[in-house]
Amino acid sequence: MAEAAIRDDATQTSVAGRRSEDLGAPLYVAWQVTNECNLACLHCIEESGPGKAFPDELAEREILAVLDQMVALEIPYVSFSGGEPMVHPHFFQMVRHFCSGGGQLKIETNGHYLSPANCERLAALGVKAVQVSLDGASRETFNRMRIRGEFLTAVDGVRNLRAAGVPIEINFSPTHFNVDEIAAAVDLAHELGAYSFYTGRTMYTGNAVKAWRHIGPSEEQYTAYFDTLRSKALEYAGRMRVHFHEMGLLEELRYRLLQPAALLIVLPNGLVKLINALPFVCGDLRTESLAEVWANFQRAWRDPRVARFVDDLADDPRKTSTLHQWVRL
Amino acid sequence: MRLAKFVKFREEKFGGVLFETRSEKVFTLNPTAAAVVREIGTGATVQEIAERLGSRYDDPSGALEREIAALIADLQQKGLLEDSARG
Repeated sequence: MAEAAIRDDATQTSVAGRRSEDLGAPLYVAWQVTNECNLACLHCIEESGPGKAFPDELAEREILAVLDQMVALEIPYVSFSGGEPMVHPHFFQMVRHFCSGGGQLKIETNGHYLSPANCERLAALGVKAVQVSLDGASRETFNRMRIRGEFLTAVDGVRNLRAAGVPIEINFSPTHFNVDEIAAAVDLAHELGAYSFYTGRTMYTGNAVKAWRHIGPSEEQYTAYFDTLRSKALEYAGRMRVHFHEMGLLEELRYRLLQPAALLIVLPNGLVKLINALPFVCGDLRTESLAEVWANFQRAWRDPRVARFVDDLADDPRKTSTLHQWVRL
Repeated sequence: MRLAKFVKFREEKFGGVLFETRSEKVFTLNPTAAAVVREIGTGATVQEIAERLGSRYDDPSGALEREIAALIADLQQKGLLEDSARG
């Protein structure tokens, strides 16, 4: 008998000793189910907001067909985000459809629709986790960043999740006016019962391009920010995972060129992106199967235009402002 | 003994993958380890797994059961398995 062996890899959706092309299907699908949102956040990379749904978002029948393919391909982990996924007219139907197929689902929400009844419904459907964006430890900073948003509503939503027994993740996007609250934000996440806190660098794209002079953190601020997070990660070790992505976008993309994550980004209209931080589209779930898109994903990462775009980013970091001008590979 | 609540297993041409979705860690399995995990999914005990795999693999030294037990200990230590009695 060949020795039974297991290898582990701490990198999200990378595969130890294997390339993503060795896999029969993605390990993770991040699905932006709608571009509609009740808020209009200063930093939103998707430029979501009220009335911002794409005119060609997938219809109910198409959505369910994609979910069926995800179940059939045994994709272990899917997230629904947006926009705000909970404003999608078929949101709970989608959750039920995927969870009943045995997959693990994370909802990424701004927390404004987390009523006690909705949280109990999410718990009953068996969602793996709900990630709530809490960009600040105070009403002042949160409401400044999340236009139309209300800090107290989001915090109440997190409390409702906890009462319903839904695992909680907190996400924090840094700006120059909230970075000083990072320690308090981590403490708040723990107090609210989160098992995971995640943050990284705010990307210069989407709404952030127009608002950058109001939100962009300085490198000095980032240095202090990540120092605090290192300290908080130690403080909460074993109680809450404090996870942060310190790597700059260029380093991340250069790494991904060599080792693409087994991750597909699905847009509300069914187009599939290579990675959020690149404009390249590798498929269309309206006209292609998920298996076909996965095969094309492998080829697309080797397209010379991808490496060229990453090289150009080194010369002009502001090229990320063009990420919504999709390029089909 | 069963896969932990937040762990998903999928068979692959090279063996299989275990995805721990809370930490978002991925573990790759060679074909033998994948066969063991598949059997764990049926609720089999170590002895039952050894018997089932023994019919498929040559095991003149009788090491099979020890290897399976070692793999299961590794999976447990990584938090990928839990007792069936747990909620």
